[in-house]
Amino acid sequence: MIENIPILSFILLAPLVGALLVLLLPKQRSGWLRITALVFSLIPLALCLWLFASYQPGAGGTAFTEHYTWLSIPLNKDASQGIASMLLHFDYHLAVDGISLPMLLLTSIVSSMAAMASVHIRKRWKMYYVLFLLLETGMYGVFLARDLILFFIFFEITLIPMFFLIGIWGYFGREKAANRFLVYNGLGSAAMLLAFLILIATAGFTAAQAAGGYQLDFSGSYDVLLKNLSDPNAYANLDPAKTGDLGLHLSNNLKWGAFVLLLIAFGIKIPIFPFHTWMLRVHKEAPPSIVMIHSGVLLKMGVYGLIRFGAFLLPAQLHSWSTVLAVLGVINILYGAILACVQKEFKLVLAYSSVSHMGIVLLGIASLNEIGLQGAIYQSVSHGLISALLFLIVGSLYERTGTTELDDLGGLAKSVPFLSGILLTAGLASLGLPGLSGFVGEFLSFLGLFGSMKWLTAVGVLGILFAAVYVLRSVLGITFGPIQDRLTEIKDARFVEAVPMIALTALIILLGVYPSILTDLMQHGFTGLLEQFTQRAGG
Amino acid sequence: MTVFAEYAWLVPVFPVAAFAVLIAMGRGAGRPGAWIGTLATLLSLILSLCIAGERISGKAEDYSAHYHWLQVGNISLSAGYEVTNLTSLMLVIVTLVSFLVNLYSQGYMRDDDRMPTFFAYMGLFTGSMLGLVLADNLLTMYIFWELVGVCSFLLVGFWFHKPEAKAAAKKAFIVTRIGDLGLLIAILLLFWYMPNHALDFSTLHNVFATQSGVIATGITTWIALLIFLGAVGKSGQFPLHVWLPDAMEGPTPISALIHAATMVAAGVFLVARTFDIFQASPAAMHTVAIIGAFTAIFAATIGLAQNDIKRILAYSTISQLGYMMLALGVGSMPAAMFHLFTHAFFKALLFLGAGSIIHGVHTQDIREMGGLGRKMKTTAWTFGIGALALSGIPPFAGFWSKDAILTAALDKQPILFVVGAVAAFFTALYMARLFFLVFTGNPRNDSHAHESPAVMTIPLVVLAVLAVVAGFVQTPFNGWFAEWLTGDKAVEHGSGLVMVVSAAIGLLGVYLGWLIYAKGAIRRDVVSSRMPGLVKLLENKYYIDELYHLLFVKPLYALGKVLNAFDDYVVDGVVRLAGQSATGLGRLNARLQSGQVQAYTLTALIGLVILALAIAGRRFW
Repeated sequence: MIENIPILSFILLAPLVGALLVLLLPKQRSGWLRITALVFSLIPLALCLWLFASYQPGAGGTAFTEHYTWLSIPLNKDASQGIASMLLHFDYHLAVDGISLPMLLLTSIVSSMAAMASVHIRKRWKMYYVLFLLLETGMYGVFLARDLILFFIFFEITLIPMFFLIGIWGYFGREKAANRFLVYNGLGSAAMLLAFLILIATAGFTAAQAAGGYQLDFSGSYDVLLKNLSDPNAYANLDPAKTGDLGLHLSNNLKWGAFVLLLIAFGIKIPIFPFHTWMLRVHKEAPPSIVMIHSGVLLKMGVYGLIRFGAFLLPAQLHSWSTVLAVLGVINILYGAILACVQKEFKLVLAYSSVSHMGIVLLGIASLNEIGLQGAIYQSVSHGLISALLFLIVGSLYERTGTTELDDLGGLAKSVPFLSGILLTAGLASLGLPGLSGFVGEFLSFLGLFGSMKWLTAVGVLGILFAAVYVLRSVLGITFGPIQDRLTEIKDARFVEAVPMIALTALIILLGVYPSILTDLMQHGFTGLLEQFTQRAGG
Repeated sequence: MTVFAEYAWLVPVFPVAAFAVLIAMGRGAGRPGAWIGTLATLLSLILSLCIAGERISGKAEDYSAHYHWLQVGNISLSAGYEVTNLTSLMLVIVTLVSFLVNLYSQGYMRDDDRMPTFFAYMGLFTGSMLGLVLADNLLTMYIFWELVGVCSFLLVGFWFHKPEAKAAAKKAFIVTRIGDLGLLIAILLLFWYMPNHALDFSTLHNVFATQSGVIATGITTWIALLIFLGAVGKSGQFPLHVWLPDAMEGPTPISALIHAATMVAAGVFLVARTFDIFQASPAAMHTVAIIGAFTAIFAATIGLAQNDIKRILAYSTISQLGYMMLALGVGSMPAAMFHLFTHAFFKALLFLGAGSIIHGVHTQDIREMGGLGRKMKTTAWTFGIGALALSGIPPFAGFWSKDAILTAALDKQPILFVVGAVAAFFTALYMARLFFLVFTGNPRNDSHAHESPAVMTIPLVVLAVLAVVAGFVQTPFNGWFAEWLTGDKAVEHGSGLVMVVSAAIGLLGVYLGWLIYAKGAIRRDVVSSRMPGLVKLLENKYYIDELYHLLFVKPLYALGKVLNAFDDYVVDGVVRLAGQSATGLGRLNARLQSGQVQAYTLTALIGLVILALAIAGRRFW
């Protein structure tokens, strides 16, 4: 029965409906606005949990799919004598598989928690929640879309609300940060668009014989691209003499071009060194509830895109660049970790630690085996939850102390034991303590890469030593030691703050103790890709 | 027949459950709440005794069970537990010491308003150690291994407001993590080299003990050394010993727990559990023996020059763990486990005794104590027994186990025996110094020392009894322990020579200590006046901490600073430059609230149109 309900569209549209409702509410009623936003964030959460409960990995991952042709544009047919007609489709195609489902769950959880954490927002609530919900729709769309153009649109949709959310509700340097965010991500989008264009134009069409020649049917359909790119004989029946100088076949050089463009596009998002400086500013300047989403979900769109398009569509390129990717990952890990050790401001410690943790994701992808790929996804989800929790705490701490400078904090375990305890737990999760989710992702990523690149892995493992240094330095700096006089009177977390903290902590523990809950989803997610890699290795 | 072994999983569950309950209740649990922790440990102790009893009395089969932890493709990583003679022995040691420490803490921590938290941490600590002991594969063991580390970190930093405690906790965690990296990489290596990616101990045994050559010797050596690196970190062996003496910033009962049954014992246990891998690599065995022997004598010399009662005991632990590693390195796993067994009792006794003293006089400096024997009678005689056991005086427990180690060392390599014997002399000397300075002579400060309450002295008495009798399970005349542990009949029988030498050395050390510190026949500054440099070197622990600071900490921070500037001025600077040159874009975006949504949407739309046009007019590009 679930098949008959367009559940994916519901997930996608619920926040949008919420945004419209928020628009209708009076702007001074912050309580109503907040509750509406929360409810319309919880609906997708419930739906995602439903998906999670009814998802069967064995079914091939296409149990949930929605596909409608949205627009169909005839193109000028005088292109060549051998062509009867050319059509360009825009498809509305949503689907879920073992790779996108964990990301969807992460999105729904982090968004709901961020909606609760938005209690600290002090001005222009209405606009804030409209943008917030719009951002949510964008994120769901990115993880659901199975059409390159649709994906691109949703990817762009996340940028606009983010730009304003940083620029209006952020801290002191918010406008510069928003600006930097837009410049970088605009560059990334341009690269992505170019790569998508190349792919669609050269491999994104189906050709059928008709009376007047070929009927060429262009679309951004992911399935078509995947089929054409993984099948060397996809266009075997296409006679070059008839298609003229169209150059319809995707040459190796173009493939490389597309791959590098995708690596840049998603590398900016992840971010990969040296494209990381924009995200430091966002971490530092955006309001904590937005950083929860930014660090928790938006960075993972880069990971998802790199796996979905970089790996699945262009496995040969990834295969020959796996060492490059692993080296970039190790640089990310160590560079981020060492810099995190010397930061004086807690949010910057966390920002650099994100750089470091995303490096581990790259290692997982570079491993080219199932262990590593699952590790990459696991690490993404886990890092999403952990950074969401950490920034949730940052928001609450800033509310109370008015600072996130490490030198101005200390001894908080005495006055706010609950917050400090959660902070310590989150810190331990971040440094990869077994029993908490961070360990599983790191372990699987390292384990996967170790199969092919032993020395690089061994160097990368050093990162978890530095992680212990920067986490303990900063977390103990805040919670341990003698307390400063002005901090003795602050109050511990309120109920509304404690609920998301406990929920996220519980999830982090659950994923650490019983990882099957997530890995079982991914069980068949990589089958096709792995076959491609085996072919490369064999041939 | 296995009745209780099937329920072995409950042993760690009790204390962990106590942890969960106590944490959930928070500080409101109060003093009654603390008893939850003690009660849980008692249950674990009872069950452990039943399991061990079952294994001692009958021909119980090894029992193991495992559960699916996660699945990747057709590879399954499992979590499981296994009961063997070795693990059942460890269960008893851990739960017994832990229970006694728990009981003792009821008195020691009475006035602390975070008492429930303390017992919660202790429950998790004990539970993690028990999980480590029971684990049937290396990955499960690693998980608990890390949890043990983090609990010790929490407990060392329990008095979090003290800057020293904060620093010590941080140091303990980071230094041991260096070793943990080794263990982690060893697991990665094993995973990829073992047939079917197996990590469980019985498969490891089958692969390595049979010398089947499935894994090349070079790789085996790497694996063994990396595992050993983990053990070095946990067991405070040179060069990663620096965290252990600082760890005494935690409440004293925790020191007893860390130094006797949990945490440091984990390293020795790890090597014992993966002993087949070590035996397959002579190079690794030599390394273990040399590091062990060196640590034994190295730490003993430092112990001679310390003045803090807990620091002396901490160095004695490092030194004794060195003995255990030495035993493993010369191939005598039973001797190592035997020493671990006896050491657990007398070291717990000594630390709890030290706690009782500190409780009474409120100082840790032995130069400020004196004459306490009259005021704290129970503490004095139990501490005396512990000191004699540690010094290796017959017939106390430490004598028999140290004797077994020295015998094994002499068999293998006389130099190692000599090093061990000299270290034993220093041990006896510094323990004599400690004992006589604290308990005899005249009080050197005017505190009103008093005996501790019964809840604290009863554990002392129990441990004192154990420190006397525990050694008799294995003597040169009775090889029961080694036979039970390994199942081998052929156990080396001690030579009378070693017994005589080791007893004489111990007695000589004690006698010398008595002459100097009790009778005053030899002036105390006889050494320090002649070789001030040496004494200073020992007092400063060979400046190892300072050396590490110079070699690792400072360069790391310097590198961090350099990279920070690089990130700011170069990586970001390039972008800034590029951004400034595109001023038009910058100015456009600077105005945040003036119709930018439309502008941006327009940009996106234009992009789409370009996309469509590009596909349409594709022959032009």
